[in-house]
Amino acid sequence: MRYSTSEFSGISSILKIDLKLFAIVMIIVFLGMITLFSVSSGDSSLMLKQGIRILIGLVAMILLAQIHPDNFKLFSPALYFGGIFLLVMTIFFGVGKSADRWLDLYFLRFQPSELMKIFVPLMIASFYSDKSLPPKFKNLVVAAFIIVVPAFLIAKQPDLGTAILITTSGIIAIFLSGIRLVHIFLGLAFVIGAIPFLWSLMYDYQKSRILSFFSPDQDVLGSGYHLVQSKIALGSGGLFGKGYMNGTQSKLDFLPENHTDFIFSAFGEEFGFIGVLLLITLYVLATFRGMSISIKATDNFSRILSGTLILTIFLYVLVNIGMVIGILPIVGAPLPFMSYGGTSMLTVFAALGIIMSIKSHQRLMRK
Amino acid sequence: MVSKHRNETIRKRHRFEEKTGWEDINDPVRDRASHKLRALIASAIVFVISLFYLDHIYQIQIDDHDLYTTRAEDNRIRVRPIEPIRGNILDRNGTILAESFDTFDIVAKKEKIVSEKNFILNAKKVFKFQKPEVDRLREEFKNKKLKEITLQKNTTMEEFTKLSVDQYLLPEMELIVKSNRRYVFPESTSHVLGYTGKLSESDYNSTVEIKEGMTSVGKIGVERFYQNLLSGSPGFEKLETNANNEIIRVLEKKSATRGSDVYLTIDYRLQNYTYELLKGQRGSIIVMNPHNGDILSFVSYPGYDINLFARGISSKDYKKLLQDKANPLFNRALIGQYPPGSTIKPFFGIVALEDGIIDKSKVFACTGAYKLENYKRPFKCWKKDGHMDVNLSSAVASSCDVFFYRLAEVSGIDMIHEKLQKFGFGEKTYIDLYGEKEGLLPSREWKNQSRQAAWYPGETLNVGIGQGYFLATPLQLANATSLLASGGSSVTPHLFLRSIDRINNEVSNFNYSDNKNEIEIDTESLHVVNEAMWRVIYDKNIGTASHIKKIDSLEFAGKTGTAQVYNLDKGKTGNKSLQDHALFISFAPFESPEIVVSVIVDNGGSGSAVAAPIARDIINFYFENIKSQVAMQ
Repeated sequence: MRYSTSEFSGISSILKIDLKLFAIVMIIVFLGMITLFSVSSGDSSLMLKQGIRILIGLVAMILLAQIHPDNFKLFSPALYFGGIFLLVMTIFFGVGKSADRWLDLYFLRFQPSELMKIFVPLMIASFYSDKSLPPKFKNLVVAAFIIVVPAFLIAKQPDLGTAILITTSGIIAIFLSGIRLVHIFLGLAFVIGAIPFLWSLMYDYQKSRILSFFSPDQDVLGSGYHLVQSKIALGSGGLFGKGYMNGTQSKLDFLPENHTDFIFSAFGEEFGFIGVLLLITLYVLATFRGMSISIKATDNFSRILSGTLILTIFLYVLVNIGMVIGILPIVGAPLPFMSYGGTSMLTVFAALGIIMSIKSHQRLMRK
Repeated sequence: MVSKHRNETIRKRHRFEEKTGWEDINDPVRDRASHKLRALIASAIVFVISLFYLDHIYQIQIDDHDLYTTRAEDNRIRVRPIEPIRGNILDRNGTILAESFDTFDIVAKKEKIVSEKNFILNAKKVFKFQKPEVDRLREEFKNKKLKEITLQKNTTMEEFTKLSVDQYLLPEMELIVKSNRRYVFPESTSHVLGYTGKLSESDYNSTVEIKEGMTSVGKIGVERFYQNLLSGSPGFEKLETNANNEIIRVLEKKSATRGSDVYLTIDYRLQNYTYELLKGQRGSIIVMNPHNGDILSFVSYPGYDINLFARGISSKDYKKLLQDKANPLFNRALIGQYPPGSTIKPFFGIVALEDGIIDKSKVFACTGAYKLENYKRPFKCWKKDGHMDVNLSSAVASSCDVFFYRLAEVSGIDMIHEKLQKFGFGEKTYIDLYGEKEGLLPSREWKNQSRQAAWYPGETLNVGIGQGYFLATPLQLANATSLLASGGSSVTPHLFLRSIDRINNEVSNFNYSDNKNEIEIDTESLHVVNEAMWRVIYDKNIGTASHIKKIDSLEFAGKTGTAQVYNLDKGKTGNKSLQDHALFISFAPFESPEIVVSVIVDNGGSGSAVAAPIARDIINFYFENIKSQVAMQ
């Protein structure tokens, strides 16, 4: 593999940053900031908080980019089991409003489930890195356990959305590791068979959320209200949008969660379909760039990990947009790089840092 | 054997390789190719899903754009109607009878109240609240459904000005403006003015024009009839509100248009005076100008407090009114139907003269009773001993029944029915009020249809003295009398004098030129009858009302009537409801009539004793106190 000189030069090379991926993401971050500015009617404290979070995210990204992927592999079991331990702790000592998702360590309050978004792909990539590929059935079962244990603990919090997302990102990792077609069908059959069982395990509010997804208009002020208002925001935006700072749904508070989970609708209201097209294109480009890094990576661990992480980020994008446009149930997932909120911002930047580390620590391959 | 051993060796090796993972050592090239394929598949899926998403978003943003735009506008825009100021109702001289005024409800939004304790403390200071009010405030604080605390309802501007001195103590105070209706003479004008009330379902199916944003409407009386003039047009405010229903800004505002003021032909002094005359009785009085139809006084007694209705009557008060035996809600003048009794005689007399059935000198002998063929019982005259020889003039003056029995027999019911129509009997007067009754001028046809029975000659005799099936409203009697007074110029009685559009001060007067319709009355016959009506009062020998005190300054003419309620027990039981109705129709001055007065006192007894003095007092009052002003107009 040849490297062009330009990629080895300049500050991006010193910081071990992939400039293309970084540039795309920063445009998205910028769009997120201006939308936040609009929906908060220029609340500078909100902007400042989000700015600080982005900075922390960037720092975390750069720091992680310096670490050699081998070290991620080395520490992956420790990180994974540490994460499991924290999840168990959360069940016993967790705090939170409606669900105990937070762990309060006095100096630090965080959601261990958020860590697992990275640790699960890391563990699977690490597990498969020295196994023969495509994975044998035995190894598939092990991988399934790697996924199911944290997913179950998170669902128990209860945070069904994150549990499903982590499961899905685990499945992506398995897919990228080269699973056989027959195993895919077996897995699918298993999942479909498990649905009634899972349904019986769910809490009522989780059920009602899923049900409201199928008929949002019947319960306008209940859980379906969010979706109805979100569609009104988007739909009234039209082709060119209502113009920056002119969104009525978002600025008059008809659109709930307009700076967190529903920031996409607020963006779509002001910038219209053109803006939405641009934004989705940016996310797709970032994903393609990530996939390109994954393809060019020189070992199985790096390939699986970088591919899984970028696809997981894209999965979050799909889940968030899917829920605000009514394709998926409202599960409460933020839009990566745009939604207001610290944990999610840190997680996606950390994932980005790992991808960049993989990009910049490639070995020369003999052909 | 060899192959067996070989197989064994291969199996061993397999097991070894499985254990050590020797084969697990990856083939980098194959792995890389496999991964690349899967990465490309994943990328393709990413691309396809993105297209699918974009297609879905396209549907929302482009295809359904109009739908969602409407819904977004519905979300944020509230249209708040602005109630117009209802026009005033004034009497003919400009005295206000009904007026609109604003009151304020003083409230405080709960969300703005920082401390309930301090708020109540300060409210006590500002409003001088005692314990019951404080308890009420506390209740309102507790009631989670209420978003605001009501401090004082129906506060006038003056009261609020006084209170606002202490406004710094209660900065939370807010005013809610309410338009109110106040009636200056609520009881005496009740049956003329009617009242306004909350708009209801039934108002939508009426002739009343309901405009968007109206909340109250004239329900009855002049308030109802001239609703479209009085109401004005509501305005509106287009407001932008947020999800919490808080007003962000006013997008558009159109002020309400004030309703027109309506001047009535009523003279409030005469109205109040006539109303008071009926105190302790039940009945109705109409005073009208026979030349132009102006109703100067329109009374049905008892009236009721229309202010109660304007404020929104309580069911208790309403029940009380409904159960009142005097039936105050009943508009006797408009919908009360009475046998006209002897008051019909002048009209019958005129048509008989005109038809040549008799001439003015034709004499019948009254022996106190009239015998009709095939009738066992004779038809009695009110005067047992009879009136001896009477002609038309003396028969009217003395109210001889026998003369008119004879006249009725000769005329026949068909002639009576046909000819009396020209005085408006059996037909609405079309006064400007809703719900008027048409009375009943009986005929063969009518009886055939409503009773499925033939007409009997004896019934004709009863009709001839205004009894039997004959029914007339007080308004019809006044209207018919005005024809006698005006010499045949038929006018529609009306309450409307003029309206003034307060926006551009445009005056619309009642169209008098359209309100004239000459009907043919033979002057000679009219003269005979009018003179007979003069004799009712001034012929000391036979005039039925000649005993009453006269008016010094002028002479007037009239006719008494005593309508039998029941043939039995006439007054003997002392039960007043069984007594006869007392009637009196009159016009004054006799020489050139200016006003017509018709009086009916329900179960009042005889017309000459009860109704005639009332009419006289009215005439006296009118010419002493009011005439000068009317003449000026």
